[in-house]
Parts: sequence; C-alpha cells; structure tokens
Amino acid sequence: MAQEMIAMLLAGGQGSRLYALTQKLAKPAVPFGGKYRIIDFPLSNCVNSGIDTVGILTQYQPLVLNEYIGNGQPWDLDRLHGGVHVLPPYQQASGSDWYKGTANAIYQNLSFIERYDPEYVIILSGDQICKQDYSDFLRFHKEKNAEFSVAVMEVPWDEASRFGLMVADENDKITEFQEKPKQPKSNLASMGIYIFNWDILKKYLTEDEADPNSENDFGNNIIPNLLRDNRRMYAYHFSGYWKDVGTIASLWEANMEVLDPEHSGIDLFDENWKIYSRNSGMTGHKISAGAEVENSMITDGCRIKGSVKHSVLFAGVQVEDGAIVEDAVIMGGSVIKSGAVVKHCILAENVTIGENAVIGAMPTEEENGVATVGAGLTVGAGAHIGPKAMIYKNVEGGEEQW
Amino acid sequence: MVNSNKSALGIIFPNHYDALVPELVSIRNMASIPFASRYRMIDFILSSMVNCDIDNICVPVNTNYHSLMDHLGTGREWDLVRKNGGLHIFPPYAEKSNKVYSGRIGTLANILPFLREQKERFVIMADSSMAVNFDFTKMIDEHIESGADVSIAYREEELPEYLMRTQDNSRGFHYTFTIDKGRINHIYVNPRVTGVQNYSMNIYVLERELLINMVNTAFVRGLEHFNRDVLMNQLSWRNVHAYRFDGYAARITGMKSYFDENLKLLDDYNLNALFEGAPIYTKIRDDNPTRYISGAKVSNVMCADGCVIEGEVENSVLFRGVRIEKGAKVKNCVLMQDTVVGAGADIDYVITDKNVKFGAGKEMKGTDSFPVYVAKGHTV
Repeated sequence: MAQEMIAMLLAGGQGSRLYALTQKLAKPAVPFGGKYRIIDFPLSNCVNSGIDTVGILTQYQPLVLNEYIGNGQPWDLDRLHGGVHVLPPYQQASGSDWYKGTANAIYQNLSFIERYDPEYVIILSGDQICKQDYSDFLRFHKEKNAEFSVAVMEVPWDEASRFGLMVADENDKITEFQEKPKQPKSNLASMGIYIFNWDILKKYLTEDEADPNSENDFGNNIIPNLLRDNRRMYAYHFSGYWKDVGTIASLWEANMEVLDPEHSGIDLFDENWKIYSRNSGMTGHKISAGAEVENSMITDGCRIKGSVKHSVLFAGVQVEDGAIVEDAVIMGGSVIKSGAVVKHCILAENVTIGENAVIGAMPTEEENGVATVGAGLTVGAGAHIGPKAMIYKNVEGGEEQW
Repeated sequence: MVNSNKSALGIIFPNHYDALVPELVSIRNMASIPFASRYRMIDFILSSMVNCDIDNICVPVNTNYHSLMDHLGTGREWDLVRKNGGLHIFPPYAEKSNKVYSGRIGTLANILPFLREQKERFVIMADSSMAVNFDFTKMIDEHIESGADVSIAYREEELPEYLMRTQDNSRGFHYTFTIDKGRINHIYVNPRVTGVQNYSMNIYVLERELLINMVNTAFVRGLEHFNRDVLMNQLSWRNVHAYRFDGYAARITGMKSYFDENLKLLDDYNLNALFEGAPIYTKIRDDNPTRYISGAKVSNVMCADGCVIEGEVENSVLFRGVRIEKGAKVKNCVLMQDTVVGAGADIDYVITDKNVKFGAGKEMKGTDSFPVYVAKGHTV
C-alpha cells in the first residue's frame, strides 16, 4: 500500500555542545519541558499532521532513545502498516558503514522508503523544539508544484550570518543558497526540514553517493546540486515557535520559555496540537504546607517542601525542606536535599544534591553561565558548584568547582 | 502463568456498592469513580492483579458502564493486551430468563461458559470500592498453605458510620466475621456494632472448578449473594480461611468517606503507604505539566498534570486539567477533572465532579461533616 508522504527523522546527532547531558544519550532523547524529550515534538507533529510512517535514523548512544521510542504507542505510531521504525546503520552484503552524513543516512535506508513507495518524503531533524503542521507544508509543496521545498524562518538580519540562508524570489522560488555567509543576501534561515518528491530524493542521493568528494550532507551537497540543475525549489515560510536547542544556554532558555507561553509562543496546553510522550506513571505531585511554588511547571511524582521559583521540574523530583530552587531545569528523579540552593542551572536525571550545597548562581553583568550536572551524579553536602561549571563526576561534600 | 500451579484468573466486580455513593454513580459506576488526583477506583485492584502476574482478568459490568469502558479501553495501560488472557469486559447478556444482577451469583452465572474455558487453577474475586495496593501472590500462597477451600481477605477496622444509622439493608451488604485459628466460624451481615471488627474486604480466593460448582448449585436454587446465601451456610463443613491484610486501604462507603479518603492522601505517610508498593497504572491523558503562575499560593495540595494555578489552594486534591484563576480561593476541596474556579471565587469543603465551572466571584461553602457536591458539567 503506497503512502502519500512518509517522514525520515534524523536522530543520530551527538549534541556535543550539550556536554554532560549527552554523555549517555543522543540529543533527541534529552528531556525537555517537564515531561517531554526533544524527539516528542517532531513525532507528535507527524501524528498530528496525519503522517503515520516515520523512520528514525539513530547512530550515537541509541539505547535510551530506542527504549523510549519502543513500539511508538505513546505517539499513536504503533500501526499495522507503517508506524515508527528505528533505523540504525547496518551491515550489507557490500560491507557496512556508519552514517557518514545526513544525506548518507537517508541513502543507506532508501530501501526502507521504497517499501512504502511514497510520493513525498519529509526530512525532519530530531533536535529542534517546534510545533509545526507538516500537512500545511505539504499543501504548499503541492501548490507550487515543487520538487523540493524547505521550511524557513525569518531571522534578524544581524544574526543571519549564523544560518544556512535561502534566497528566494517574490514567488518563494529559491534562487540561491548561502551557508553561513559573511554577506547575507537574505534573512530566511533553513530549519533543516525538507520535503522532496520521492523520485528526486532518490536520484540525488544516489548521485551524491557516487561522488567520492561529497560530504554526504543535505545542506552542503544535495541542495547545491539541486540548484545547479535548476530544480523547482521553494521556500515555505514558518512563523511559529522554533528553537534549535543545541547548546546548554539555548536548552535552558527554551525550558524557561515554556514558563511564559503568552510571550514565547510555545503553548504546551494546546488541546488541538498535543505533544505526546511516554508517561512516568507516577502519582499526582504534592506541595506540602510551608512550601512555596511560583511561576513554575511541576509534574507527576514531584514532592515539594522547599521553595521553587521560575523553574521546570520533571517527574519525581524532590525538593526538601528549606531548599531553594530558582531559574532551574531539574530533570526526572533528582533530589534536592534540605538547605541546598540551586539556581540558574540544569540538573540532569537522577542527580542528588546534598544538604546545603550550592549549585550555580543568578546571572550578573560579567557572569551568566548555566551550571550543569550530568545524569546520576551526587553532589556532596555543602559543596559549591560555580555558574560556569560542567559536572561529569561525583562531587565530594564541601568541595568547590568553578 | 497458566502453567504454574498457583495461576489465577481475576474477576473484578465494578458495580458493587454503587448504592453507597448515588451522586457519584449517576453517570458511572463505582469502578470508574475518580480517586487520588489521577486514578479511577478500579486502577488499584486491577494494577495489583497485574503486578502479581495475573494477566487474565474479567470485568462483568452491570449498569452505567460507559465511563468504565472508556477508561479501560483495550487494557493497554495495564499491560493487558494479550493473545492469551488479557482484559475481558462482559456486559450483561440480555435474555428473557435473566434480570439485571443483584448479587455475585447472577453475575458469575452469566459468565460460566467463559469460566469453564479458562485454564487457571484459582480465581480471585474482588470489588472496586477499595483503593488498595494488594499482594495477591501472598494471599494465594497462604490459601494453599492453609489447605482451605475458600479464603477471604479482611482488615481490622471499624464499620462505616452510615451503617449504624440506616435501618434497612438497601445499600448492599457488609460482612464481618469471627475467626478461630485462621478459620472463619461465623459471618455477620450488616452488623451494627461499634469498635474494630474483622471487616471483610470482599476479596476471595478459591479454585476455579469449585467456584463453578458453587455458582451452578446456587443459581438453580435462586440464590443471589455468594457470601450471604452460599458461604455463610457452609461454614460448618467448608474450610473458609481468613486472610488478614494489614496494609493501607481506602474504602469508599459514602460521600463523606470519599472526601475523607481523598484528603487523607495529603499526609505523606498515607500516600506512601498506598503507592510505595507496586506501581498503580491508569489511563494516560497526555496533559502537559501543571503550571503555577505568579500569584499562586499553594499549601498541602496533591495535584495531577494539566492544571493551571493562579489563585490560592490549600488542603485540597486536584485532578487533571483543573484551572484556578486569579484571586480564587480553594480550601478543603476535591476538584475532579477540568473543574474551573473563576477569578475571585471562594470555595470551601466542596467536591466537584468533572467539568464543573464556578463563575468569577462565586462563593460556596460546605462543612467538615457535609462537603457540598456539584454534579458533572454544572456551572455555579
């Protein structure tokens, strides 16, 4: 049975700029927004847009991600035909290879796409926070009779040179592509989300693979080749919430934006565009007498006895008596012991912060770092972790790290 | 687990004791009454069974069962989607010869063909009016060791106060018993006695073949109640073992007890006692985390996901999707799914059913002994 459009989700990224958070898991599996992981966003977008066949390309530290995806049931992607499939690199008769680049990852799985014989393929990125209706994108692609379309965002001109830019005419037809140019001719940044006609995708991936000098990358190779051949290429304007959470600072910031949906535009309360996730199954959270909670997101299994301000707490976080949490992102199962002060930082899953320890600090003129503690670590009683610190190992009681 | 000689089939009666909470069951049954901020009553017994490797469970529904069917779905949340066993929901099978069940015998007689076809050695029967994290494996082990024909679980507790007040038996039967060396020698029906009793939890373990025989015999004689009409009269020759349960149990015996049992979970000791054992599963709603906006003041509150809190909440249990608007005051309340308390409204000792709305500035106060109940979908 042929499908109109299937999705290929690139989820192999290491996310090396997230340092301590991606030691043991791939970037798309990084927790976000109180009960989600980053990959919940593209997966929920798919199912909300009517796409029920998704191939997820994994490579770096896939265990957590594989377990999380499972049979795809939380996203309604456990289907008789199609559904979600995790696609790691594999051995073939001709040999085996890691995914050499984004284009090569798809190339190695052309036979997966072939099984569904779609008309269109949408290429998604597993490391962005974005609520987007892909069916509207497809409508645009069909209306323009395009062979290739790319979703673009308008970015401020003074930041444009950090992005891959699409130069388009008044009809949205792409005339030029500039990768991080010094002299930007456009402020339309590529979001790394593409729709291809299946025959075009197959042709260009196969040609690209035959070119020994290619980096096998969509941005660096495939798009320039399409332009060279004057293919019908169009830029689809997207204006909703979109954030690449590639760095500690941007991940922290995106979490804080969840607390202010009225201004940031990321509304997780939208009944018509739910973001699905695998649930913790814990009981309702509990705010004890004497606790203080202000301007925060709190989810199942949390036990709050201390003070929590402007923070995002994931499932099962405990904040003991007298502990202070402010401007913090605290991932599932972490415990903040009594008297500890945790500010302007990210604590990964199952971290224990000892009594009276101090983690991070509110930003000042000269110092605005986001302290980060890796998963499963223990910070001893009375330890002091500075605002720039990146913690990979347990910290003894009383120790200082900056 | 069918191959093990301890294997058991679960039967959960979802309508038992409906008559105790007429307000709450006007649109559902006992099994689907919301409890403890994100659960339904049946979740506790159902999860306990699953946690004890009982994966063949049947739920013979009687009346008002749409909400329960919606809640249970295919049973996936309880890991009960199975080729062998799994969850079976039996609606009443209407025939000229049968009427709506009034007791366990009629219900069981209706599913006899199913019971005969199963392979499990034992049957566990339980109601859904009690939230409990129950270890059925332990009970089956003790049942086998005792050599008894039937085991009944009990808890040492006082009888519900409504029972002392009512003069008739129209609201169902409660059983207590006296025990001699583990064996029940006397069963009392609706006794009006004060003080701690051996109060039956209506959880039964017996061999499947024995149950089939007992139901067959009782049904042709027109008997209705398994305990009152069958077991009680057989104590002299049938070995009925009493299994004492010492764990936490929240038993719903009326509106007041529904309110109290919810609020009791605000005490960490009780909350942990109920939930620290094996996990309790429930239907997933995919709500986002609860959002506390500046101005929220919260003290001693249990709250599920999907709420937005901008006002003051004290000493209350909030279910999924509740909204407390700016300046609203909520004290000593149990607010079910998607209740909205408008700006500046002030409520105290109130139970709201699903989708209740309080307009801005409205006031409603119940009392400690009589919390006010607002039915589903009403706007105050």
